[in-house]
Parts: sequence; structure tokens; C-alpha cells
Amino acid sequence: MSLLAYLRIWLASIRYSVVRTMMFRFDFILWVLVDGAWMGVNLLLIEVMFRHVDAIAGWGKAEMILLVGTAMLVMRLFMTFFLTNLFSVDRLVREGMLDFYLAQPGNPLFMLSTRRIDLDGFVNTVVAVGIVAYAVHQLGIRPGWAQIGLYGLMVLAGLIIHYATVVAIVSLAFWITRIQGIEGGYWAIFDLSRLPRPALRGVMEFVFVYLFPAVIVSNFPAETILHGPHLGHLLWLLGAALGWFAFAVGLFHLGLRRYSSASS
Amino acid sequence: MTAITQIDITGIAGRLAHPFRKYGHVFAVGLQSALVYRWNFVIRVGFSLLHLAAVGVLWGAAYAGREHIGGFSFRETMGYFLMLIVANYLISAFNEDYQIGEEIRGGTINQFLTKPIDYYAYRLTLFFASRLVTGVIVLIPVVLLLPLLGDYLPSGLAPWQWAAAVPAFFLAAIIQFSIAFCFGLLAFWFLEIQGFVILSMAVETLLSGQVFPLDLLPDTIYRISQYLPFYYQAYFPVALISGRIESAAEAQMGLIIQSAWVLAFLAFGRLLWRCGLRRHTAVGG
Repeated sequence: MSLLAYLRIWLASIRYSVVRTMMFRFDFILWVLVDGAWMGVNLLLIEVMFRHVDAIAGWGKAEMILLVGTAMLVMRLFMTFFLTNLFSVDRLVREGMLDFYLAQPGNPLFMLSTRRIDLDGFVNTVVAVGIVAYAVHQLGIRPGWAQIGLYGLMVLAGLIIHYATVVAIVSLAFWITRIQGIEGGYWAIFDLSRLPRPALRGVMEFVFVYLFPAVIVSNFPAETILHGPHLGHLLWLLGAALGWFAFAVGLFHLGLRRYSSASS
Repeated sequence: MTAITQIDITGIAGRLAHPFRKYGHVFAVGLQSALVYRWNFVIRVGFSLLHLAAVGVLWGAAYAGREHIGGFSFRETMGYFLMLIVANYLISAFNEDYQIGEEIRGGTINQFLTKPIDYYAYRLTLFFASRLVTGVIVLIPVVLLLPLLGDYLPSGLAPWQWAAAVPAFFLAAIIQFSIAFCFGLLAFWFLEIQGFVILSMAVETLLSGQVFPLDLLPDTIYRISQYLPFYYQAYFPVALISGRIESAAEAQMGLIIQSAWVLAFLAFGRLLWRCGLRRHTAVGG
């Protein structure tokens, strides 16, 4: 299948999702509010902490809002396009429903990942962009187009890292069938992306900055806005995204070999 | 005469013992079914400890160069968050709302309508059995990590703080369960209740002190929060045991308000149950 054909399939899924969402408008509004409330909780933490301190690991209040806003942006993009699709993989494996995707004339991981989009996540992606814009305004900086372009590229790399992490997590369903508790790991791991990088020391820094890029997915884009482009950071983030993506896809296909339909 | 009295006493004792036997069996079933998911709980505890590490990093950076924040040291604040995590596994409702909603939606609730069993008491018993299992599971890593976490465990508490903490934890568990019960009952009216549950969870997380200790809020907002049920879901018992409530009078007033919320939720749950049953239609054999 050509790239254009994949794009057409994705657009058809998006169209279907929009129509479906408009059929359940109350549900849509409710989920926008639900996720909006959780974003508000994160911002309130910053508000309350900065009533008592002036800086956290050298980051001021507006800088922290920029960091948290960036972390939210990457997460909301992931929630819009992939979260629901990927979190249903363990159920599909357990019930043998994966057959339906394997029988389709396309890459099974693509078919699984793009089945639907969540419009409520899209609305909150716009809210997250608003939070980032508010933080930039508070900081009084005017990032150039190159900075904004690099920021966007890094956010995209972050999205790939989120995607790869969850693909790797749900691929475990081919081995352990029920992964309910493990799914929660996604939220626990990317909780760390709201932390400023200088705050991490020792084992935490080694694991979540160098080994697994949970912290840099938000810190590097935010630092690009704050301090300008940094080629090393860009290469680091792109390399991490490609490496983790390759690992996750490899793990998924390795697991797929174990899949034996409804008896799996 | 003596024989008749004897028979009556045996009858009364039997009638009293009957519910204990009945719910005793439910408790045993609850223990077994919670143990089936023991590895899920172990994984969940692992991620909670990762969350605690993230909290430690954030607050450690905030405390850099200062002794106190809001009148409490870093050790005291971390003690608060550690106790909060332990409390979550001892008294929090996990997915009871979802389970109740599913029983209503799927019609399996019908079996309870024809049996001499109180659905609230049945679910509460299962909840306590499950929390016993998760409570034991969370204590294992805490004990294993004692060399690391020992500094943050509560110490030097007055006897009244311990005495107030025990009923406060028990009542907090009932509030947590009752809120979940009420949300589960919404399935009588709505097809999908997850949105309501997670929206409420955001409010509960914030106002029960899971994100930050509530005493760091501006004074007026903190005072208002003391009259809301969320304060008594987790913050109140944890604040007692981590030394953030320092006056016996405040603890006493807290217990009175907490008891009032328990009664209010029991009554509201009963009302929802009755109204819901009027709408409920049982189909099938």
C-alpha cells in the first residue's frame, strides 16, 4: 500500500470519528471538561507551590507553566490520535478480535493505531497551546519562527516517544494477556515530564533523562523557547524518538508472532 | 417459662449472628477475588512509588535553600505524601463505581433484588475485603524500603493523634466507598458513567489533598475546604497521622463533621438506590 493510501484511510477514520462524536455531543462536552479539569489540577499545583517559593530548580513560575503546558501538549496530542486505540489492544488480543486488523490489507500496527481519533483530546490540545502561549507572554519573550518550528519538531518527536512507550507497554499483552495494571505506567512515567530537568539527580536523572527520555520530551522543547535552538538537544530527542520507535515496533511484531487468534 | 426464654434468646442470638455469617461469606469471597488481581495491585503499588519519587524530586527542588514551606519541613511533607499513598491502598475506592455501574447496566444486579441481602452492605463488605488485600500489599514495599523511607514515617505523635486517626481512617473509607456507590448508581439514569467518575476524581484528587497538602492553600479556601466531604476522604486522617493537625479540638471538630458527612452519604445513597430501582427494568430469565 502506498503512503497516500494510508493517508486516505486515516482521513476516513478521522471523518468517521467526527461524525460519531457529533452523535454523542453530551459525552464529547463531558470528556472535554473531564480532561480540562485534570489540566487545571496540574496548573493549580504550580499556583500553590509558587505562593510559597520563588523558583523550582531554577525555574520561575512562568517557566514552569511553559514546561507543564508543553508536557500537556504532547500528552493531549497523543490522547487525540492514539491513546484509545492502543489501550484497547490487550482486549483485542484477549478476545481474539485482533484477527479483524490482521486481515486488513495494511500494516496491522497502523490499522490498530488510527482506528479513531478523540476530538475532546483535540480541543484540549488547543487549550494546551493556549497555556504555552500564555506562559510565553508572561515571560515577555518573542520566539522567532525558527524557534517555533524547532519547538513543533521536538513536540512531534515527543509524540513519537509517547507512542512508542505505549506500543511497547501494550505489546506485553501478547505475553501476559491482561495488562490492566501496566497501562497505568504510562501516566506514572510521563508524570515525570512535568519536572524541570535540573531537579533530577542520581539514579532518577540516569533513568529518566539518559536511559528513558520521559523528562526531555517536555524539557527540550521548553528550553528551545526559553534559551533558543540547541542542536545537541534536537539530535538527542530525534535519536531517542527513532530508537524507541524502532524498539516498540520490533517488540509489537515479535509479540504478533505469538498471537494465535481467539485462543491466544 | 425458663425454657421459652431460653428459646427466645437463642432465636435472637441466631438472628443477630445471621448477618455476620452472611456478610462473613461475602468478605471471604471478596478476599479471594481481590487476591486474583494481586499482581495488578503489586504493579500499581510500583507505579505509586514511582509517583512518590517524582513528588520527592519536585518538592526537594522546591525546598532547596529553605527549611520550611507552609511551616513544615521537607521530611514532614514527604511523610505526608508517603502516608497518603499508604492510605490510598487502605481506604480508597478503586473501581467500585465502575463495577456497580456495570452490574446495573448488564442486569446482574437483578440477582440481589430477589435475595435477602442489602446491596450497599454487600458492596461495602467486598470493598473492605479488597482494601485489606491492597493494604497488605502496599505495606510490603514500605517495609522493604524502610532504610530509605524510615525517616518519613510518623514519629512523636501524641496518643490523642493516634486515637483520632483510627476512626478518621475508618470514616474516610466509608465516605470514599459511599461516593463511589452513588456514582455507580448513576448507571440507573445514564448509559455511560465513566465521564462523571473521572470528572469527580479530578475534584476529589485536588480537594482531598492528593496533589498538595491542603494547608498550603490560602487560609480562606482552606477553611472552606474543611466543610467539604473531600477533605475527609483522605486529607484529614493523613494530616492527623503526619502531624499536620496539632490541636485536639480541631481533630474533635473534624471527626464530628466527618461523621455528619458519612450519615449524609448513607442517606443520599439510600435515596438514589430507591429512586434508581423505580426506573430499573429487569429483563430475561
